[in-house]
Amino acid sequence: MRAHIRLKLAISVLLATASLVSAQQQPGNQVDLKNRAPVSKEILKVKLPRATEATLSNGLTVLIIEDHRLPLVSIQYSIGGSGPIFEPANMVGLARITAQMMTEGTRTRSSLKVSEDIERLGAALSVSSSYGSTVSVLSASGLSDNFDKWFELANDVLLNPTFPANELDRRKQQLSVALRQQRTSAEFLMSERFSRAIYGDHPAGNVTTNQGTVDALTPAILSKWHADRYAPQNTILGIAGDVKPAELVPKLERLLAGWRKTELKEALPPNPKPATSRKVYLVDRPDSVQTSIVMGNIAIDRRDPDYFVMVALNQVLGGGGAGRLFKNLREEKGYTYGAYSSFSARKFPGPWNASAEVRTEVTDGALTEFVKELQRMRDQPVAERELDDAKRAIVASFALSLENPDDLVNYALTRKIYDLPEDYWDAYPAKLMAVTALDIQRVARKYIDPQTMQIIAVGDGSRIRTVLDKYGTVERYDVQGKKLAN
Amino acid sequence: MDVIMKTSKAILTALLLLCWIQPGNAQSIVFKQFTLKNGLRVILSEDHTAPTYSVAVTYNVGSRDEQKGKTGFAHLFEHMMFQGSENVGKGEHMIIVENNGGEANGNTTNDRTAYFETLPSNQIDLGLYIEADRMRSLVINQANLDNQRQTVQEERRERYDNQPYGKTFEAVIDLAFDNFAYKHSTIGSMEDLDRGTVKDAADFFRTYYAPNNAVLTMVGDFNTDEALAKIKKYFEDIPRQTPPPAPNMTEPKQTAERRKTIEDPLADADEIDIVFKIPPGNTPDWYALSVAGLVLSQGTSSRLYLELVKDKRLVQGISADAEEKRGPSLFWISATLNPDKDPKEVEKLIYDNLERLKREPITDLELEKVRMLVRRAGVEQLQSTQGRATNLGESTVFYNDPNLVNTWPDKYLAVTKGRIQEVARKYFIPSNRTVVTTIPKETPEPAGRGGR
Repeated sequence: MRAHIRLKLAISVLLATASLVSAQQQPGNQVDLKNRAPVSKEILKVKLPRATEATLSNGLTVLIIEDHRLPLVSIQYSIGGSGPIFEPANMVGLARITAQMMTEGTRTRSSLKVSEDIERLGAALSVSSSYGSTVSVLSASGLSDNFDKWFELANDVLLNPTFPANELDRRKQQLSVALRQQRTSAEFLMSERFSRAIYGDHPAGNVTTNQGTVDALTPAILSKWHADRYAPQNTILGIAGDVKPAELVPKLERLLAGWRKTELKEALPPNPKPATSRKVYLVDRPDSVQTSIVMGNIAIDRRDPDYFVMVALNQVLGGGGAGRLFKNLREEKGYTYGAYSSFSARKFPGPWNASAEVRTEVTDGALTEFVKELQRMRDQPVAERELDDAKRAIVASFALSLENPDDLVNYALTRKIYDLPEDYWDAYPAKLMAVTALDIQRVARKYIDPQTMQIIAVGDGSRIRTVLDKYGTVERYDVQGKKLAN
Repeated sequence: MDVIMKTSKAILTALLLLCWIQPGNAQSIVFKQFTLKNGLRVILSEDHTAPTYSVAVTYNVGSRDEQKGKTGFAHLFEHMMFQGSENVGKGEHMIIVENNGGEANGNTTNDRTAYFETLPSNQIDLGLYIEADRMRSLVINQANLDNQRQTVQEERRERYDNQPYGKTFEAVIDLAFDNFAYKHSTIGSMEDLDRGTVKDAADFFRTYYAPNNAVLTMVGDFNTDEALAKIKKYFEDIPRQTPPPAPNMTEPKQTAERRKTIEDPLADADEIDIVFKIPPGNTPDWYALSVAGLVLSQGTSSRLYLELVKDKRLVQGISADAEEKRGPSLFWISATLNPDKDPKEVEKLIYDNLERLKREPITDLELEKVRMLVRRAGVEQLQSTQGRATNLGESTVFYNDPNLVNTWPDKYLAVTKGRIQEVARKYFIPSNRTVVTTIPKETPEPAGRGGR
């Protein structure tokens, strides 16, 4: 219960509105744009620097953003064909675990030596491979005055990992614990159920390894994955910072001469298909004080002509604090700390999604508002001003990326990975600004469909089950991921 | 709009935006300082390497200023700062910044509240105007307060109450501290959040959000004279107020170990948290303790990682670091155990490592690793205008020393092996220690979280 309000005359100016407003009506809860703050109408035009590009004799593509503002360098190898998308169905986790194990020993360095050497140079080094990805990524960064030393170490990890048995044994034990531990997180349970609901049997539906795979892994299996899958012709090396491309490229030829081209090509599994009827998944987490909600369906890939429309659509719907979902569910209703939408577009079609964590009591209200906002994207064209703001937000924000060379090299990598045109980033602002309200409505009608989307709710089943029944057929799971009888 | 509860090992990467001075390649943050007639301190640092700028307004108020029964109010008030002012509508602040390609946010700690915007450099007026408008004329009403109270309560649920080990932090500070200032959390309790009134908010605004209780910092692509003229135009006529009382930060000396065990229905494994009381940040002892923390747990060749994670396989992860606070701080060690491992054994091994720090100097390699980490962090912090702006503000509000952004690396580098032994002997003693063990609570649910 709220303490009653004692007004004081001395501060009556500030409180003038308070005395007129009752908590029941809450008329002040509409987001309100006064448009009085001084704004420059112009969008600051920035040209993203093009990367210097080279192809080594082993087929490796190199992209360099030369930037001497600070004595720093960062590198990343994006190794196509080595990501979890290409794992055999009985070896889910192999790509990720191989990546993680690469820093645990090389032909000339023990696990401890790798750690000590990198830390003694003040550098950072990691290898990762995200579920749903086609690539594994080796990233390293450090000072430019000892770049040669830490880059040599990064290349040693890339090319000569040995996957020592004792280190793998330790990692397997850690993974077994993590497999259990992750089930305490509502966020994990939500992502697990959502990915499976959206992707079905497509490998992008995997978000975790399993005990069977962990038990089966051997150093030989990891070595073979590395030897087969880490191939220079499928790899792009991005470098940003205090380097000179004219000197660096010949050096790369020497350093990477032992990394031989192979016949491996990326071969993607058949594309995932969108669900055609709505279904609700409840993950029953008895001690939850919130319901974690996500909904969505398969939409587009990165090269889809509707990509720019989707960027603008998402910005309007829930791209940030200016999005409709945030305004409605947080600022007006107070249901949540944040409500957002996003979409994933890669070499194969990925989902759009909308999500929020809300207190248990307002699960129904939140779902109602989500459905309403999604339906509105289909039913009504976006107002001109709202669309202009959304497009402007995206185009104007390019200026901020000029603070950080890593952002700039990532633009170059994206263009290369998805084989986008040479002038892609130069043309980007104009293409985005050309998106119309009718485009957005058309794309919303095609993809953002409350009738066919999949809804996931992680929360206290005893309190939200009847609510969920209103939104469709409910499938129930426990926190272990086991399907329960209804 | 975050609460920052606990500074972490990321301290070196997140905390300071500083600069490493290399021989022959001096790179430092050059800034000019001004004070407006109403007491607002202004610090400006030009950097034309990107067409962007950041502005931060750091108010000298945090959860340490809260009274009993009103926990969480400083942070709740931070949310109110986005609810509109005379010329900026409710929610418009974030929207207008975002719609012009920028980023805006705020966060609250024990010791200060900071707001910041990063924008393209053709929008200098925008960032300054919206910060000034809310300092001058924030709209405080019941509807906004109720609405943001709900949002903050959701933030508490999302980040603490619905997370495994989410309540451990509050148990530790409650047990370790005697002075209320740091004994309670910045997010506050649900009951206290329900108690905040419109009058509280109005009083809080007048007292703490006065120009003479704030520092405005700006870094990026602008001309100092022009920026100063704009700042004067927008801010200088906001009236100064009687300065707020400084909170009493006296912490009685702890005389005996404190221990507690708590149950957590969302946890799946034991966690042990051990804290020692240590001096405020930016003191010689604090820097030595911070280095000790780096030696213990920074990186995969650190002592606790190698022994407890790798060799003995007792814990899933472990961290040890000196929190930075303006008042009495904590050296915080936290470990999540592997299943069926004994917290007592983990605790003993941690103490053995602390004894080793007292007994023998750290190695040359360990010292070199710290030096390189400091050096790199110093350079990396120069990349972002937002980081520099917020760190200039924090250094000024905390220590009245904006130039700390340029001097902190030297303070780390001044720490000798002998000093680390001295501080270990002085602070890592049983009577200065608080230990909280978090254990999973069994639930009677047949479909409970299995395994245990």
